[in-house]
Amino acid sequence: MDAGEAERFLFYEARLLDERRFREWMGLFAENGTYWVPAVPGQESPFDQASLFYDDRELMQTRIARLEHPRIHIQTPPSRTAHLIGNITLEDSVTLDEYAVASTVIMVEYRNEKQRIFAGRQHHRLRREGEGLKIVQKRVDLINCDAAFEAMAVPI
Amino acid sequence: MHNGSSDLTALIQPGRVHRRVYIDPEIFELEMERIFGRAWLFAGHTSQVPKPGDYITIELARQPVIMIRHSDNSIKLLFNRCSHRGARVAPLRSASAPRLVCCYHGWTYDSDGTLLNVPVPEGCAATFDKRQFGLSPLPRMGIYRGFVFTSLGQTGISFEDHIGPMKSSIDDLVDRAPDGELALDAGRHRYVFEGNWKLQVENVLDSYHVPFSHASTVNDKGVQFARREGDKAGAAVVDADKNRTAAPWKQRRSYVSGNGHGWTSNTLLDDGKRSSPAFDEYRRVLAQKIGAERARQILTPRLHNSLIYPNMSIMGLNIHVRVINPVAVDRTEVTIFPVRLVGAPAAMNFGNIRLLNVTHSAASFVQTDDLESFVRVQSGLRSQGGDWVDISRGLGEEEPDRELNATRELATHEMVVRAQYRAWLDYMRGTA
Repeated sequence: MDAGEAERFLFYEARLLDERRFREWMGLFAENGTYWVPAVPGQESPFDQASLFYDDRELMQTRIARLEHPRIHIQTPPSRTAHLIGNITLEDSVTLDEYAVASTVIMVEYRNEKQRIFAGRQHHRLRREGEGLKIVQKRVDLINCDAAFEAMAVPI
Repeated sequence: MHNGSSDLTALIQPGRVHRRVYIDPEIFELEMERIFGRAWLFAGHTSQVPKPGDYITIELARQPVIMIRHSDNSIKLLFNRCSHRGARVAPLRSASAPRLVCCYHGWTYDSDGTLLNVPVPEGCAATFDKRQFGLSPLPRMGIYRGFVFTSLGQTGISFEDHIGPMKSSIDDLVDRAPDGELALDAGRHRYVFEGNWKLQVENVLDSYHVPFSHASTVNDKGVQFARREGDKAGAAVVDADKNRTAAPWKQRRSYVSGNGHGWTSNTLLDDGKRSSPAFDEYRRVLAQKIGAERARQILTPRLHNSLIYPNMSIMGLNIHVRVINPVAVDRTEVTIFPVRLVGAPAAMNFGNIRLLNVTHSAASFVQTDDLESFVRVQSGLRSQGGDWVDISRGLGEEEPDRELNATRELATHEMVVRAQYRAWLDYMRGTA
């Protein structure tokens, strides 16, 4: 994988989120893929500490079904988001069959007359499956991950 | 002004409360003085400061407070304020520091607040007595099974009288740990909302809102997603055929026992089918430690939610401890601690953490819709369209429960909220 392929993949993922194509976004994850947003800086594990998000496929399925539900009050009205992905670097992968990509993410969210900003470094572990790439893990380390947040409904 | 008792009494009527109790900044100031400045408040758990010198910093009634473990292993609650010029001496949310050194002029305190050292002592007045300049301790402290409570008032109801009726709620949680103790060391969830603190307090025992507020968490059969390790599905919330509140939900009861406290009865999920590798191993370990019959009793939860008025709740389903921290009349911060059952298999504790992430984090499936309701109430109450908030469901249908020494009612009624306002009025009038 070269830097161009990594960039195209991350841009496409960000576009799916911004266009609220959540089910297609979920389709980017491997069957055993996880989406992790730690709740403390440098969190070592999702298994013994609380996280903002730690979705395996089953929980992600519930999350997406809820985002599609007509009576999700926290998305009435819905959020609008704009992701900006930059500072993309290819990292050393922990396993031979995975690629590791780090990038900086800024997401601006507007909902109900209010706008807020999420920012941090994200780490994708990617695996080639058939023609495309699948996410083994997406980890987003927000710079304010241990802050008290107003309710968040959409993935970063 | 609303300071007079008669004025306050007029705001709380049978079955309704005036909207000013949620939106009036002067009333909020009085609440900070008369409720949060006097009542027993949950401060923390001893497991948050496991070793001497460990501290956490919190806010109680908007005041900075340190909970620290002293070198003799005792827990101390101190105001986080240097006796010299007033700077907070403990700067971090949690840390370990055998001595607290003020960043400004270097005044140094022991972990029990004793002033140990003042730089350039020859500058002190001849009458200066270090013993008079320790960090001030909070007036009163009480601990039950590791849960640390404090009162900022010098006098008032005793800790024993306050916590007594709610001990069984704490026991219900702690007894689930094979080693008989729990630890709040699995991180925390934090959220904030633009609403009054009472909106959150009222919600924790509200069994009426679930099918409506949480409609998006329910599948087309009216069943919520599984919320406990070992459950294959969650509770039936909506009667799918009739699109109404599911029948078992309507049979559940709530209870009050004075002082604003209350609890709701069991989780409706105890069908004996709960099973997963992690849960089965946990049940085996628990039975091994305390006996099969006692384990069976403990794993048949009696309680769903408990409220220890005014700032703390316990949930028995997605086990956690919740702390409610009023910031302003229309701003409230909440912290939710996952509960680690000491002695339980790591996989069981992960099961609890994994599901609490999706029920109560700031990005969860359940709490977020409650927060939307709180925010909409706070803004709706600004309207002149009605001065009263209705809490009359089940008024007059309360009945005594002599076995539990409590008063009970159907959980979809609003007795628990009325009980909270009785306590509210007692505190606000100074008769608590």
